[in-house]
Amino acid sequence: MIEIVQLSYSYPGSQPALEDVSLCIDGCNLFGLLGPNGAGKTTLLSILSGLLPAPAGTVIIDGIDIGRSPSEARRSLSLVPQEYAFYPTLTVEENLRVFAGIQGIRGATRQQRIKEVCELGGLEQRLGQRSETLSGGLKRRLNIAIGLLNRPGLLFLDEPTVGIDPQSRRFILEAIKRIHQQGTAVVYTSHYMEEVEYLCDHIAILDQGRLLVEGSLQYLLQQHGSALTVDLGADLSASQIGRLEQQGFECSQGKIIQRAVDSADIHRCLASLQQECVPVVAIHYGSRNLEDLFLLLTRRSLRD
Amino acid sequence: MGRLGTFIGKELLLLRRDMHGLALLFAMPVVFIVIMSLALQNQFSSDSSVGVDYYLLAPEQDEVAVEFLRRLEEIDNFHRLPGGADRQLLLQSVARDDASFLVIVAPEFGERLAEGLQVIDLYASPGAEPARVLMFESRLRDILGRLYLMIAQQIMLDELGESSLIGDEELDRLLHFQSLYAEGGERKTPSAVQQNVPAWLLFAMFFIATPISTAMIHERSQRTMDRLVTMDFPPWMMLLGKMLPYTLINLLQVVLMLLVGVYLMPLLGADRLSLGHSPAGLLVISLAASLAAVCYGLLVAQIANTTEQATIFTGVCNIIMAALGGVMVPSFIMPPLMQQLSQLSPMAWGLDGFLEILLRNGGVRDVVPQASALLVFAMALLALSVLLGRRR
Repeated sequence: MIEIVQLSYSYPGSQPALEDVSLCIDGCNLFGLLGPNGAGKTTLLSILSGLLPAPAGTVIIDGIDIGRSPSEARRSLSLVPQEYAFYPTLTVEENLRVFAGIQGIRGATRQQRIKEVCELGGLEQRLGQRSETLSGGLKRRLNIAIGLLNRPGLLFLDEPTVGIDPQSRRFILEAIKRIHQQGTAVVYTSHYMEEVEYLCDHIAILDQGRLLVEGSLQYLLQQHGSALTVDLGADLSASQIGRLEQQGFECSQGKIIQRAVDSADIHRCLASLQQECVPVVAIHYGSRNLEDLFLLLTRRSLRD
Repeated sequence: MGRLGTFIGKELLLLRRDMHGLALLFAMPVVFIVIMSLALQNQFSSDSSVGVDYYLLAPEQDEVAVEFLRRLEEIDNFHRLPGGADRQLLLQSVARDDASFLVIVAPEFGERLAEGLQVIDLYASPGAEPARVLMFESRLRDILGRLYLMIAQQIMLDELGESSLIGDEELDRLLHFQSLYAEGGERKTPSAVQQNVPAWLLFAMFFIATPISTAMIHERSQRTMDRLVTMDFPPWMMLLGKMLPYTLINLLQVVLMLLVGVYLMPLLGADRLSLGHSPAGLLVISLAASLAAVCYGLLVAQIANTTEQATIFTGVCNIIMAALGGVMVPSFIMPPLMQQLSQLSPMAWGLDGFLEILLRNGGVRDVVPQASALLVFAMALLALSVLLGRRR
């Protein structure tokens, strides 16, 4: 169980990377942390894994305050950074042996662990290959395999599928599911919504350092999905925007949104548009998926 | 193998796979030692194969002129080149630096010398070094002085009816020369090898900063270092795990370069390197220089943001330290101000320490000042790099 209470963090001379984030992550969940680039996901993971201090707020992992006892808290966790955090000129096996040895895993145990993580990552046939010569997908798998050497109770995965082909992505997603099924709590960050939808049973959306929403996918779609979005066939004049905004519409980039409407209000909304003589191209009601939800919450695309 | 052992093993394995790094650390200094020792033989050697070439024009030779020429040709380092008897052609050749000097002996040499008139015209080529011009001119003046004294004495003795003469033996006895450099119990002049091996060895030792800093920057940018931190690998172990293997590499450099001086250079026709009498002193100064170089690498890793920056920074700084510290140009031929400035370079401290052992036959006590200066320098850089590392 991870408890994050009123966590804030700023890099020197920059805007706050995290602002007043409070979150509770159940150890049984495969938890998805969603947000665009620069949302604060990596910063949050860095604080959770004890790499960055938490000057404001508290982080408690399985009852241990990571700010006070980072060493104790780190014993049961593992971080897989977004970068290829291994030695490219070493072979796959040498990398695994080095990172096992550095964690004090030796002898027969080390051999056993290397065998386990290689099976999970499908790396058995690549042990003698230099890591720098692996494909992008295999590098990602090795990156994850290294993070599993200590059999962590809590695994932080920071965008583990960036820049790889769909086949490798599918392999990695299945591997993460297996890791979770074997009893490891997983916190998974990504800006690929379809991955988070596929993998995660609990989701939090971060944007510009702030936690926007948190809950199960179904809950989030129900709670935040009751909005009407209308794509327009012409630009609105300033006076039209003013009148529509008075009626509770949000106008942006060729579309208007009205939040928290129920199905009975749809006719009234369309009547207002007809009165303004604005051509309608398409109408969406509710949120079908995370992408719609994110668009509603942030008013911009996740991939911006 | 414990956690530290694994980390050190990893560093050595990474370096073994880094062919550019190995070439920089081992091949570059060997090449420098070979080239510079052979090229600078003229500066240091008394070997007769490395000398001064001159043309001689002596159309009429009386008895004293023959004696003058005999004495001139007896000097080991002076080589007379055949050039014909055309004065203009010979002057043109010297002007083209085909030879360093043209010596023209006047007719009626003996008579003119006895009367104290000019007997020699000496022309130096544009490329002749001032020190060599001075040496050549001095030797000619010495021969002329001796011949003049001999003639003057002979005239006086003939008048007095005496038979005793002040000869070369008596004149030579007036000055006894000894070099304080000794090898195998024999006093001799230090060779170019003796000067160049420690100089370029030290230059190479400081290049260890390049692989250290680039490896650390790569670990930082790829977040491998973050991964090590989350694996609860202590910072002190990380620091020690960097310092120990690279110090070992530095010591290997020392051994290899000394072996090059002892075994390879004689095969190439240069002098053999003499190792002095204090292996312990060599070890002390080598370790101190190595720690200074390694800590310098740790600091560069904190200052530079990219591997390219680190490579350029260490390259430029090393060349400046080497130029100032007497590696490229021996400090003893620098003017006094530059000699004082050279003491700002840690390479000068290390070089002085090595020369204490290799040139002046010193021991551990003799290198204590230089080793202490290097250790203080190393500790200061280490403290600074830890401070900057924490800020990051």
